[in-house]
Amino acid sequence: MFSCFNILSLIQAAETTRVGMMKQAALNPDLSKFLVIGALLFIIGVAGVLTRRNIIVIFMSIELILNAANLNFIAFSRYLSAMGDVDAVAGQIFAVFVIVVAAAEAAIGLGIVIALYRNKETIWVDEIDLLKW
Amino acid sequence: MTLSGYEALFFWIFGLAAIFAGLLTVMARNAVHSALFLISSLVSVAALFILARAEFIAGVQILVYVGGVMVLFLFVIMLVNVGAEERGSDEIFNNQRQVTASLIFCLLLVGGMLYSINTGYRGLQARYPATPDVVAAQESIRDQEHAPSATGSSRITNDTESVGSSLYRYASLPFEIASVLLLVAIIGSVMLARTLKQEASADDVDPDFESR
Repeated sequence: MFSCFNILSLIQAAETTRVGMMKQAALNPDLSKFLVIGALLFIIGVAGVLTRRNIIVIFMSIELILNAANLNFIAFSRYLSAMGDVDAVAGQIFAVFVIVVAAAEAAIGLGIVIALYRNKETIWVDEIDLLKW
Repeated sequence: MTLSGYEALFFWIFGLAAIFAGLLTVMARNAVHSALFLISSLVSVAALFILARAEFIAGVQILVYVGGVMVLFLFVIMLVNVGAEERGSDEIFNNQRQVTASLIFCLLLVGGMLYSINTGYRGLQARYPATPDVVAAQESIRDQEHAPSATGSSRITNDTESVGSSLYRYASLPFEIASVLLLVAIIGSVMLARTLKQEASADDVDPDFESR
């Protein structure tokens, strides 16, 4: 707790100088920092989908991707509402629908995983090659 | 919408937590560990939603994802056999060349995205030239009409109320379509997950099906 106060007081003390103001702008998160975190989560999800062999972990990576998209919707909604846009709440509504679609997708996908496991006895995606010619 | 003070501190804590938990989700050998890391990533993103004043979405995220979807994931992990993966006798990633190619692709993608965020954000700043201080001042003036919170440090905003009212006013048709989608998903997953025996004992099949 003490170190938190220290960091905060350092940040506030740095505000006065010019270099300090630039540092302040880099440290204080605005819309672009939200977008960067969303982009990194998206990339991690894409890497998971492309590299993993376990089909359940691939589904989890898809959830990560959808969540990153949600973070972008929320960040833009917040940005536009701070700018005085009265319709900015549409971003949050989009996020609700993305969560609904993600839930439906997870239910169907896991049903497919169970059916597949019953027939092929495997969850490795490189062994599920029935359509591969 | 620049965050400052404790909000900035918590933003960095939860943002880094979300990214590291996401990385560990992809890297973990055991699928149960992956699921638990994904839960912590989702909770951290819910905290970021709260920092962006989307309290309702944060609550929905924790209730639906962590309480519903992830429990479903854990059930399915228990149903299918992941023994070989846990013992460490099996490779968890695809073969070397596929992993290299996809990592190169991901690096290109992250470079492109960071570049476009940078240029796009500069374009947005040119379009809305107000400085953060001015925006914050205008917003605090707009917040004056709301009741003060119990701590007195902030105001009770009506974000959740406006989400609800516009969900039913402007998005009522998509809302109904979403409910139909969930119904289809329920029926579809029940259809997909039943066994051959259960399928045979369904009403539309001849009861002598199994004996033949």
